[in-house]
Amino acid sequence: MAQTKEISRRIKSVTSTKKITKAMEMVAASKMRKAIEAVLKTRTYANLSWETVLRLAKLAETKNESLHPLLAGRKEIKKAAIILISSNRGMCGAYNAAIISKAKDSIKKYNIATDFILAGKKGLSLNNQNYNIVAEFEKNDLLNDAKEIYPIIKMAVDDYLSGKYDKILVAYTDFVNPAKQVPRVKQLLPLDIKTVDEYLGIVGKDPKIGVNQELINEKSKKHSSGDNFVYDYTFEPSPSEVLDLIIPRLLEVQLYQAFLEANASEHSARMTAMHQATEAAGDMVSELTLFYNKARQASITAEIAEISAGANALAE
Amino acid sequence: MKTIKFEIVTPERTVLKQEILQISVPTTSGEITVLPDHIPLVSVLKTGVIELKLADNNTEIISVSGGFIEVMKDKIVILADTAERAEELDESKIEAAKLRAEEAKKNAKFVDDVEFANISAKIEKELARLHAVNKWRKLKSSK
Repeated sequence: MAQTKEISRRIKSVTSTKKITKAMEMVAASKMRKAIEAVLKTRTYANLSWETVLRLAKLAETKNESLHPLLAGRKEIKKAAIILISSNRGMCGAYNAAIISKAKDSIKKYNIATDFILAGKKGLSLNNQNYNIVAEFEKNDLLNDAKEIYPIIKMAVDDYLSGKYDKILVAYTDFVNPAKQVPRVKQLLPLDIKTVDEYLGIVGKDPKIGVNQELINEKSKKHSSGDNFVYDYTFEPSPSEVLDLIIPRLLEVQLYQAFLEANASEHSARMTAMHQATEAAGDMVSELTLFYNKARQASITAEIAEISAGANALAE
Repeated sequence: MKTIKFEIVTPERTVLKQEILQISVPTTSGEITVLPDHIPLVSVLKTGVIELKLADNNTEIISVSGGFIEVMKDKIVILADTAERAEELDESKIEAAKLRAEEAKKNAKFVDDVEFANISAKIEKELARLHAVNKWRKLKSSK
């Protein structure tokens, strides 16, 4: 009887865990819907503005003159910063681990001193690993307003202009579809045309259809290398006035888009993880129920055997 | 007549994507009209009304607040902060919004400059919308 009690206790605990994971799945699903809607809405804008940035960068390069301090590259890269977008809470599968390890990889690749600017609490785990964290910004689960990211971009741009950093990267998770998210490190500053395939999102694609590598290649060909024409823009009223207004705005949009992508990915990842957890709990419950029934049956059989043995002994 | 690709997008959506014959936009240095084969240009928009001539010779009115225009060889792109086509706008709602913004401005004597600028921008935006609707209506009645 002791065994059945033990098993029934476990069934109870697994069932309640299942209820919790189910609830978390539902919450993540509703947040995901909102996040996906937001990310798809701004993708066209973000992609078009990024194209503009690239064209401006190309112009600056061919003209070989500095149109704007943010368009000028640095001769020597001494220090870089990574804006790492992670989640606030766990329970989202490999989401945080993937983006953090991607960020670490990119540090190893370039091998330059790198500081971290964090958004989302989970990035703080880097603290224990000898990485330098200069700031940790609060991040909401869903962005309501582009204004929420202004402090981050301001810090990044100011530090870049003051020469504290020679390169600003942003590490975020690109949302491909609810089942697939790709961790990515994108160079934000200097605005460099040579960094290929660093596009934010895939324009106009339904998240339900999904995408493959071909499509990404095709897109990047269409948007960057394919168009070699250099536009010798006229700026009205003047280049500096126009670029002063445009470039910070474009950077904001890029970072904003990165946040939206990361949010959509986070909630998708959490939903998937919680869905799997719910399913695993269901499997476990049915397995335990089987054990429970077997144990109960065994104990009853044993009892009957005992009783009949006793009765037989009395009869003799 | 020669046409050019045109696209106007805001962070929320693509407002219009069409072939057009010509476009007039309000920029910070005055209103400009762009025809196909214009030289490449980048300029900053101010709050106001965009007037387009579509490929089928119809006119389209769009109210816009902030953003910029980029004219390329074969394409015009406007990245606007907000933009609405005149036919989507509801006049009574605009009036109400304008009143609310003006009310806020009156009560805002003691708030900081940033807040004041925000409210002023809002009023300007509503005015541009109203302007767009009126233009749209005039256009329709003249037909």
